Amino acid sequence: MSTVETENSTSSAPTAADTPPEPGTGTATRGAAIGDASVAGGARSGAVARAAGAGHRDRSDASPGAARAVLRLVGSELGLTFRRPRNIAMLILLACVPVVIGVALKAFGSDEETPAIVTQVAGNGLMLTFLSLSMLVQLLLPLAVGVVAGDSIAGEANAGTLRYLLTAPAGRTRLLAVKAVNIGVFGLAACAVVAVSGLITGLVMFPVGPVTLLSGTTVPIMDGVLRVLIVTGYSAVGMAALGLVGLAVSTLTEVPIGAVAATVVTVVFSQVIGAIPQLGPVRPYLLTTWWSSFDGALRDPIATDVMGQGLLVFAAYALVFGAIAWGRFSGRDITS
Amino acid sequence: MQSTWRRARAVRWAVPVAAFVVVGAAVGAGPVIAAVQGDPALPDRTAAQLLAEVAKTAQHQQPPAMSGTVVETASLGLPSLPLPSGTSSSPLSLLSGSHTLKVWYGGDGRLRLALPGQMSETDVISDGKGSAWLWESATNTVTRFTLPEGVKGDKGKEAEAAHTALPTATTPQDLADRLLKAADESTAVTVENGQHIAGRAAYQLVLTPKDSTSLVDRVTLALDGETYIPLRVQIFAKGAAEPAFEVGFTQVSFSAPAPENFAFTPPAGAKVKEQKPEAAKPGEPWSKDGAAGHAAPGAEAARAGARTHGSGWGTVAEVPFSLADLSKQQNGPRGGGDPAQMIESVLKSAKQVSGTWGSGKVITTKLVSVLLTDDGRLFAGAVTPEALVQAAGRK
Amino acid sequence: MTTITGEGAHEAAPPRVTHTEASPGDCSIVARGLTKRFRGGQVAVDDLHLSVPRGSVFGFLGPNGSGKTTTIRMLLGLISPTSGACEVLGRPMPGGLASALPKVGAVVEGPAFYPYLSGQANLLRYDAADPKADPRTARQRVGAALDRVGLGAAAGKRYRAYSLGMRQRLAIAGALLGPRELLVLDEPTNGLDPQGTREVRSLIKEIASDGTTVFVSSHLLAEVEQMCTDIGVMRTGRLVAQGTIAELRAGHEPRVRVETPHPAQAASVLNRLGLARVRTGEDDVEAELGGHAPEVVCAELVGDGVAVRGFTVVRPSLEELFVGLTGEGFDVDG
Repeated sequence: MSTVETENSTSSAPTAADTPPEPGTGTATRGAAIGDASVAGGARSGAVARAAGAGHRDRSDASPGAARAVLRLVGSELGLTFRRPRNIAMLILLACVPVVIGVALKAFGSDEETPAIVTQVAGNGLMLTFLSLSMLVQLLLPLAVGVVAGDSIAGEANAGTLRYLLTAPAGRTRLLAVKAVNIGVFGLAACAVVAVSGLITGLVMFPVGPVTLLSGTTVPIMDGVLRVLIVTGYSAVGMAALGLVGLAVSTLTEVPIGAVAATVVTVVFSQVIGAIPQLGPVRPYLLTTWWSSFDGALRDPIATDVMGQGLLVFAAYALVFGAIAWGRFSGRDITS
Repeated sequence: MQSTWRRARAVRWAVPVAAFVVVGAAVGAGPVIAAVQGDPALPDRTAAQLLAEVAKTAQHQQPPAMSGTVVETASLGLPSLPLPSGTSSSPLSLLSGSHTLKVWYGGDGRLRLALPGQMSETDVISDGKGSAWLWESATNTVTRFTLPEGVKGDKGKEAEAAHTALPTATTPQDLADRLLKAADESTAVTVENGQHIAGRAAYQLVLTPKDSTSLVDRVTLALDGETYIPLRVQIFAKGAAEPAFEVGFTQVSFSAPAPENFAFTPPAGAKVKEQKPEAAKPGEPWSKDGAAGHAAPGAEAARAGARTHGSGWGTVAEVPFSLADLSKQQNGPRGGGDPAQMIESVLKSAKQVSGTWGSGKVITTKLVSVLLTDDGRLFAGAVTPEALVQAAGRK
Repeated sequence: MTTITGEGAHEAAPPRVTHTEASPGDCSIVARGLTKRFRGGQVAVDDLHLSVPRGSVFGFLGPNGSGKTTTIRMLLGLISPTSGACEVLGRPMPGGLASALPKVGAVVEGPAFYPYLSGQANLLRYDAADPKADPRTARQRVGAALDRVGLGAAAGKRYRAYSLGMRQRLAIAGALLGPRELLVLDEPTNGLDPQGTREVRSLIKEIASDGTTVFVSSHLLAEVEQMCTDIGVMRTGRLVAQGTIAELRAGHEPRVRVETPHPAQAASVLNRLGLARVRTGEDDVEAELGGHAPEVVCAELVGDGVAVRGFTVVRPSLEELFVGLTGEGFDVDG
């Protein structure tokens, strides 16, 4: 901004604003003040022209620029998510679970009653990853993802930051897409944290060698690591699908804790439904049913049909709830 | 402007609605599309023609190599079974709900069945060289069966079975005629065309019992239109639109599966058991008969006292049985839960009945009725409870 | 928009309660028939016609709950109007949001930031949300904005630790992240001490002198009166007056009051001089001063031999005007 004009305005300001109006001088002074304004108005076009060059991109490079801008917002969103103390705490907690399981197994061993998968960990550290994921994928991982997803829009609305993001303008569809990506990345991070923690704990505490799959086939260790990747990726997609459910819930309210609770209750509710035998026909349509299908990667051959079906269910959930989130958020009045 | 906002709102909500419709259509239309994409309609066949074709194929050709997914769905109307967790791949769990079984068949007696469970799997592998394995990942055990020489290949076995059953049948046509004739007394047999199962065009034999006491409305058997491999069996209870029991392929492929499927090496650290040839009954763990699954421990103990009443669809089996005996048998053959506990929970829903013969409890499911008399007899059959009571009175 | 020079051109004009219709090109904000009816039937804004001239400092006045914030939210596309239309920087809302808003800086209903981030990180976050902002200059622009509101030293401090005044300043800094054509400031001096209020006022004037249109809402008359060129007054969802300060004053011209034992003689002098609406009392005479210089009037009276016992110029305050318009008093102790 021009320093000359700053000088000008500071000198005239006290005259217009701070001097009490006196008979006979007030009108003239005000006239002068308005005159100033219109003079300044004349210089406006110049200021705007400078503005376009200084801070804002040219419109000509709109499409690559738009992609870069979206990446920047995604980066900002991720930075926010992974800098937030609450989220860091959840990731640390998740990372602790495989360690705790490993220590418990090492300390107490296992007897005849324990499932084979548990005893297998003692024989092969790599199995700890699968064991940890199978234990966490039903509640703790969905909980972590539900917190981030339920908080995504409702939290911003509650804090009032949503109105500033939208006037920035982040764009509603764009912001929602960025939030969805953020939730997906957090879901992947959460699964990866469990997998990596499981791998490291397993490597440190137990012998590592060729992996016995559920089908009884034994595969080399690298194949086992590959399967860890598949399992992690599959679980992350499942968590992302839940994340979009949470995102949709999050657009419905301004109370983040309500959105988080609703998301987690959805998970628990659908697990209860899935556990009732009489409601068996409903099971294939529940999100929770398919989370544990990652064990398809531990069969020989890999149960691509079951996992593929799971991925389709995840995609269907993501599509429907993503659309609901968009339908709600793109037209919602932001009154917070 | 106002209308613009309204229109915008309508458009916005149209998107989730459309998404829902698309998903719903994909779920609903999947089978339809599969059916439409299926083979063109098959030529019409009478029951006799169809059976003749089946017999001819069975006699002259080995069943083709194939793999697929079989889904078994039982809604027998049993009270929910208190299955212990972790036994989802246990054979007992097949009694309720829906289960998936994977099948690989490579010809020459090479077969693999896999029953996937939650973080577990039960496999039966027959390598075609005289060895078969039962692998149970939940217990980390391998049972190795050495098959007797004679039953190495399925082809030989089936042909042999057919000949034993009807030793005088010489031509497939003859065989079909005899079968139909035998069935005619109790059963009406018809053929439905135009079925599509797992994307294959199929014929469907419909067997309708003539016996009025039977709980079974009809049994359908779908046969692949090309290979005559059975693709699906459904049992419909009277008065029910959905089958009470169904087992069928949801996906099938008639290309040769990878040979690795039929090789098995017991993994390091697994418990390995050897089984004598005479005890080798690889089909046993997948026994589909609910009543047999329940009564097995007790029934084995007292097989001598068993007899049957009636014939055909109305057959009633009678075995000596007491709950006290059962309670002693703590663990089932596969460790899949406590049978006594299961029976007890089933008995909770039982109805008290009495007659000239004494009194007892009747358990009715969609397909099977069971009568436990207080004097220690068990009557079971796919018949109405009244028929059981009658049988009990017959002494 | 007419500019009043105060040379008596509008001496008899009534208070401007009309909807000034300016061509959209001259206006940063135009609203036509803007109405917001919330679910539940409450009408927050009712048939609002508003024109904010480019380059003006527009005071948007009204008591709390009169619909100011709802109007601002509609202008910024945060809520959708039930009916009516608005344009911001010549682009219709909500279609033109994406192209107009990067040139609009806004403070809406007080500051809102991430408590666990520093002031700088907070501003970088909002800057990242603007698709037209250049990431290469982000840090520099954030630093400049922080310096401008006097938060340069507190840039690295967590927002949680900011005082109320610092938070308000940070919100204003957020509105200054890019070069703006329009600033929308909703109660920008809320929570600031008198010193901070003065600083914000002079900051607004400084920004306005760059040619930026400033739209300031307030329930404090004094604030608006001291820095605005134009004013709109809201009352229960309706705009009851709009115009330049001079226009609004026009109907309330300063009057002269002459205390004299010869009112008739004095009245004839005033009439001769051309003062309007001469009213003769028992021992005084009143008339609208218009463009006349009071000292000249006084000299003429004395020159004509009128015994002047007292000579006063009565100037009605804007506050009286607004009380008349809104039917209720403003909180004027700001």
